[in-house]
Amino acid sequence: MSKLGSVVEAVDKYNKFVEDEVKRARTDKKFGQQMVTRWNGIKAKIPLGSAPTGLKLPRLALPEIDEAGDIARYLLGDGLPGEFPFLNGAYREMYLEPLQTPAIELGAYEKNAHNGKSKNNGSRNGTKNGVKPQQAEEPTRLFSGLMLAEDTNERFHFLGAHQRSKRLSTAFDGPTLYGIDSDAPGILGKIGEGGVAVDTVEDMIRLYDGFDLGSPDFSASMTISGPAPIIMAMYIAAAKRRFGNDIVPRLRGTIQADIFKEVQAQNETIFPVEASLRFLTDMMEYTTREMPRWYPVSISGYHIGEAGSTPVQQAAYTLSNGFAYAEMMASRGIPVDEFGPRLSFFLDCGLDVEYIALTRVSRRIWAIGMRDAFGAGHKAQMFKVHTQTSGRSLVAAEFKNNLTRTAAELMLSYMNGTNSCHSNSADEPFTTPSEEWIRLAAHGQAILLDESGIFKHTMNMLSGSPGMKAVERAVEAAILEEFREIERLGGVMGAVENRYQRSQIQTAAHRYEQQIYDGTRPIIALNKYRNSEEEMPEFELARTPRAKQQLQVDRLKKFKAKNAKKAEAALEKLAGVVETDENCFPALMEAAEVCSLGQISTTLQEVVGRFRPMV
Amino acid sequence: MAAPVRILTAVPICDGHDSAINTINLEFIRHGIEVVYLGYHRYAEDIVRAAIQEDVRAVGISSYNGGHVEFFVEVVKQLRKRGADDIAVFGGGGGTITHDDQRVMKKRGVDKIFFAGTSLTDMVDFVHDRYGKAHRHNGRNGAPADMQLARKLTQIEDSFANGKTARKSATKKTGNTRVIGFTGPGGAGKTTLIDELVLRLLKRDSKLRIAILSHDPSVVGAGALLGDRATMINSQHDRVFMRSMATRGQAGGLSPATEDCLQLLAQSGFDYVIIETVGTGQEAMPFQSKLVDQTVLVMNPDYGARLQLQKIVMLDLADIIVVNKSDQDRARTAMSEIGRRVEQNGREQRVLATVAKRHRDVGVDQLCDWLTQPIARMSRRAN
Repeated sequence: MSKLGSVVEAVDKYNKFVEDEVKRARTDKKFGQQMVTRWNGIKAKIPLGSAPTGLKLPRLALPEIDEAGDIARYLLGDGLPGEFPFLNGAYREMYLEPLQTPAIELGAYEKNAHNGKSKNNGSRNGTKNGVKPQQAEEPTRLFSGLMLAEDTNERFHFLGAHQRSKRLSTAFDGPTLYGIDSDAPGILGKIGEGGVAVDTVEDMIRLYDGFDLGSPDFSASMTISGPAPIIMAMYIAAAKRRFGNDIVPRLRGTIQADIFKEVQAQNETIFPVEASLRFLTDMMEYTTREMPRWYPVSISGYHIGEAGSTPVQQAAYTLSNGFAYAEMMASRGIPVDEFGPRLSFFLDCGLDVEYIALTRVSRRIWAIGMRDAFGAGHKAQMFKVHTQTSGRSLVAAEFKNNLTRTAAELMLSYMNGTNSCHSNSADEPFTTPSEEWIRLAAHGQAILLDESGIFKHTMNMLSGSPGMKAVERAVEAAILEEFREIERLGGVMGAVENRYQRSQIQTAAHRYEQQIYDGTRPIIALNKYRNSEEEMPEFELARTPRAKQQLQVDRLKKFKAKNAKKAEAALEKLAGVVETDENCFPALMEAAEVCSLGQISTTLQEVVGRFRPMV
Repeated sequence: MAAPVRILTAVPICDGHDSAINTINLEFIRHGIEVVYLGYHRYAEDIVRAAIQEDVRAVGISSYNGGHVEFFVEVVKQLRKRGADDIAVFGGGGGTITHDDQRVMKKRGVDKIFFAGTSLTDMVDFVHDRYGKAHRHNGRNGAPADMQLARKLTQIEDSFANGKTARKSATKKTGNTRVIGFTGPGGAGKTTLIDELVLRLLKRDSKLRIAILSHDPSVVGAGALLGDRATMINSQHDRVFMRSMATRGQAGGLSPATEDCLQLLAQSGFDYVIIETVGTGQEAMPFQSKLVDQTVLVMNPDYGARLQLQKIVMLDLADIIVVNKSDQDRARTAMSEIGRRVEQNGREQRVLATVAKRHRDVGVDQLCDWLTQPIARMSRRAN
C-alpha cells in the first residue's frame, strides 16, 4: 500500500472519530459540559470590529448552536479558522482588516490551543499590545512574462507600483519551458512568446533587476516545471552575483517544479519521470536545508483543471500528487516537519458548483492525511494555496463578459479562503494580457477585498451554509473514491504509468466540449444569447518583434563563446555526479554560473534520457 | 467501400497544449477519419517527414503558444520543398490566431484556420469535404524516394479497401534486408521497446536505414487513432521510414494490406524492416509470412497464473521472448515460468528481461546484439 491508501484510511477514521465524539458529547454528560464550556469561552473571546457605517460585528462568525453534539461536530469536524482540520481557513484572520484599536490581545481563541501564529501568506493580523498593527501583504498576485528579460522587468516594475509588497510571478516562453536554447534551429518564432525568454544567468539578472531579492517584502514565483531545478540554480546564481553568497538563505519565493501534473496534464516534461523526480528531490533537499523561506514545489491542480478535468479530479490528482512528493521526501529521511511547511498548492477556480467548497475540502483532507498518515505537526498540516481564476472558462465571443466570469470566480476563491489569488484578464482568450485588462483584473480583487465589506470584517462570513455543507460532503466522498482508484493502480506512480489520470482528464475534456455543443452547458454569448453580428475584436497583440528575438540569440551566442571552456568542465562534472546517487543540485548550481539552459538540459538528457510522451 | 481519409495532427514545438487536439482527434475518429497523431512539442521538420511517409491528405496543427505564423508557414514551405505541395495544412489556435494572422498565413499557403467557437461538426465536415478525395498526383517520377514509396503503400491499402483480397504469402526481398516481427499483448511496451531498439541501431551504423510498419486497431468503415509516432521519439529520423496502418476490420493484429505492404518495403533496400502488431490475444499468430525472418514476443510480467502461459500460441513460435517491465515485482517469477514453458518446445528460443523505459537498459542492448547477429549464427548459439 502506498501512503495514499493510509491517507484514505486516515480520513475515514477521522470522520468516524468525529461522529463518535458527537455521540459522546450527547451521552457523556461531563464531556458534553466540557464542550459547551469551551464553546462559550471561544465566543466570549471574539473581538468586535466595526464597519465604516458604524455597525459592530464580531471578527469571527460562528454557527448559532448550543448543543454539545453539534458543538463537537463543528469544532472537530470543521475546526475554527487556523485550526485542525482547517476547513474554514489555514489562518485565523485571513483577509480581515487590521483592528484600528489593537488594545485587545489577539491571542489564540483558546488558552490551550496551539500557538500557530499566522504570518504573511495573505493573512492580515494585528499585533500585540498597542503596537501599530503591521499591514500584511496583499493576497493579489499577477502573472507576467513577455518578450525578453528587460521587457518583463519593465512590466514587473509597472505592476509593482500598485503594490506595497513586491510579489512577482513569472511566466516563461516555450523554449525555456522545454529547456531549449533560443539559438536552437526551428524555434526562433517562439522566443519571448507567451512568456519571457531565459537562457542564461545573465537573463536572470536582467529579469529581476532593480528588485532587492533578499528583502522580506520581495518574493519571486517562477512557473516552470520540466527544467525547474536548472532554473532554480540559475536564480540562485543570479542572486549570488548581485548580492553575494550570503543572500541564499534569505531568498524567498516559489518555483512550480511539479512534474506529476506535467505528465498528467500540461506536457512540459523533458526528462523521464523517475529522473525528473530525482532532480526535483535533489533540489528540494537543498532548498529545505539551505533556503528556509523558499517553496520548492507548487503542487498544481491549475493545469489539470485547464486541461479539462472535472473539479473533483483536479483536487484528487493534486492532493495525491502532494502526498506522493511528501512520501519521496520522507523516504530520503527528511523530517516531515521540515519539508511539510515548504509544500504549497496551486488550484484552478472555475464556475462549476464544486468550486463552492473544493479548496475547503482539499485543506481538510491534506491536514488529516499529513497529521495521521505522515505524523506532521501543525505547520506541516496546513494546505497553503494560491488560486487562479479559470482561463478555460473565458471565451472570445463578447469577451467583456469575461470580467463577470472572473469576478464570480474570485468570489468563490475568497469564499474558500485562498491564501493568494491571481485574477485573469478578460483579453486572455486572445493574447498575453495587455495593461488595460491586467489593471481591471487587479482592481477586481481590490474591489472585492478592500472596497466591499464581504471579506474584511468577519471570518466565516459566508462559510457553513447548508448548501456549502452538502457540496463539501459530496466532494470529499468523490475525492476519496478517486484516491481509492489510484491506490488500486499502485499509487500515483503506478497510475501515471497506466495513463490513468491522463485518460480521465481527456474523457472529461471531451465531455465538456460535447456539453457546450449540445447546450447542456450554457456559455453565454457562445451557445446561448449569441450575437451573430459580432465581429471578433482586433487587439494590438503582444508579439515579440523579430529584432528582439534575434537579439536574444546573439546574446546567447556571445555568452556561450565567452564561457566555452568553463562550461565544458562544468558540464562534464555535472554528468559525472548525475551518474552517481549523489545529490546533483550543487553541481547544477555550479553549471548554472557558466552554462546555458539548453547546454545543461542536453547534458542531463544524455545521461538520463529524454521524456517519452504519453498521448 | 472507399478508403478512409487519412490526416496527420500535431502540436508545434515548445507547445504542450494538447487538450483541444485530443478532443478534435476523438471527433475525427468517430466520423471515419484515420488520424496519425504525432503528439505535442513537435518540430516542423518532424511533422513534414511524417506527413510524407504516412502519405496523409492534410496536416492539422493545433497551436496555443504563439509563433503560429512562422510555424505553419514553415510546415508549408518544407512540404513544398520536398515535393509534397498537395498535402494541405490547416489548423487553429482558439483565440490566439487573429484574423490578421490568418490572412498572412493563407497568403503563404495555409489552407484553412478555424477560429474560436467553431463546432467540432464543422471541422469534421470540412475535412471530409475538402480532403475526401485522393491526391492529385501519385508519387510522380523524380519525387523523393520516401514520397514515391509512401504513395505506393497508399495504392496498396486503397486497393484492399476497394475489395482486393489478401494473397497467400510474398517471398521476394532485397539481399540484406532483415524483417523482424514484434507482437504481444497490449500494454507490454512493444512500441517503447522498438523505439529503443531503433535508437541503438541508428547509433551502431551511420548509414543504416530502417522501415517500421506499425498497426493500430480499427473496424471496417470507421476511423482510427494511429498514435505510435507520438511515443516513438527516436524513430522520427531521416533514416527511418515509418508507416502507421489501421487494421481496418481484420482480426489477428495486422491489416489485410500488411503482406503486400511488407513485400514492397522488403524490396526497398532497408537494412531492417520492423513490423509491430496491435496488442494481441493468446491465440494470435500474426507472422505467417515467409518474409518475416525473426519474431519477438513482448510480454508483461503480469500475465496472471502460470497456466495462462500454456495457452499463448506465440510462446511456441517466437524466436525471442522478451519479458519487458522487468523492474516489476513479479518479473523473476515470470522469467522462470516462461523459461520452463519454452523448454517444453525443444526449439532454439531465447528469453530476455528488459526495462525498455529505462535509458540505456542492458536488456535492450542485449536484444539489439541478438537482432544484429547473422541469423544462422544466432540459431547455433541459442543452445
